[in-house]
Amino acid sequence: MSKTILTVDDSPSMRMLLRSTLVEQGHDVHEAEDGIAALEWLSANDKPDLMITDINMPRMDGFGLVEAVRAKSVHRDMPILVLTTESSDEKKARARAAGATGWIVKPFDPVKLASAIRRVTV
Amino acid sequence: MQHLTNEGMRDRVNVIQGTNFVTADPKIVLTTVLGSCVACCLFDPHAKVGGMNHFLLAQPREGMRSDNTEAERYGLFAMELLVNEMLKAGATRSTLRAHLYGGANMHAGMQAIGTSNARFAEDFLARDRIPLAHRDLGGTQARRVEFRAAMGQARCRLVEAEVPIEVRRPAVVQDQGEVELF
Repeated sequence: MSKTILTVDDSPSMRMLLRSTLVEQGHDVHEAEDGIAALEWLSANDKPDLMITDINMPRMDGFGLVEAVRAKSVHRDMPILVLTTESSDEKKARARAAGATGWIVKPFDPVKLASAIRRVTV
Repeated sequence: MQHLTNEGMRDRVNVIQGTNFVTADPKIVLTTVLGSCVACCLFDPHAKVGGMNHFLLAQPREGMRSDNTEAERYGLFAMELLVNEMLKAGATRSTLRAHLYGGANMHAGMQAIGTSNARFAEDFLARDRIPLAHRDLGGTQARRVEFRAAMGQARCRLVEAEVPIEVRRPAVVQDQGEVELF
């Protein structure tokens, strides 16, 4: 079933790859280039079904974004998947504490990504 | 491109396929030998930090779709790892400058793997708006690249006699694609 997904990544190349993957899976995709741009998008639009965010980004990183999103009651229950090259337990724990729903390590597998999206957006 | 000088050089680090190395130490010179692989050298002239990766677009694994998307995911991964390490070392994305080396088509009659690698790297830099200050790509010969990363100085020479044997393995990490729901 089609979901509205906000993707947050500072690399235009990665955003393009994510967009093509998610559109192919039938989703409606919106993009932001960092945490600040994502917060601006969220304040100006209806809540998406899911946000997928990178961690290492300028201005506001993924940890700061997850914390800021969870601080707003309207977004408290929105699923957030972290999609990153990082795989350390310490960073995973930090994302979990900030309120992330899940963690996916790049390079992502489209089939596993689709499965994760289905499981967190039911 | 600034040409590399030998003055003050102390340590050499060999950047093998599937890895990257970033440093702010001006005494360190990064080296690699490339056939159809590509090395991207990034340098931030303000932060005086530089780094190099060395990658070959992965061939689709058995059972995977044999389209360009699989290869592109690995290429993007290699580039993102390098950019992230640069940012962690103090570089700023908007002031990064790049060099590209390699991408030779070493064996006549075979698929132009080198051309694919070079095209991917050039497309990535263009899309991510990282200026390409210098490129030495293509041809049919291997190259030896030396990059004094923290100073942005590079030297690239064609290698006549010693064509490297490249082990084709994708630039992967053990946890690639791992999904963990909290």
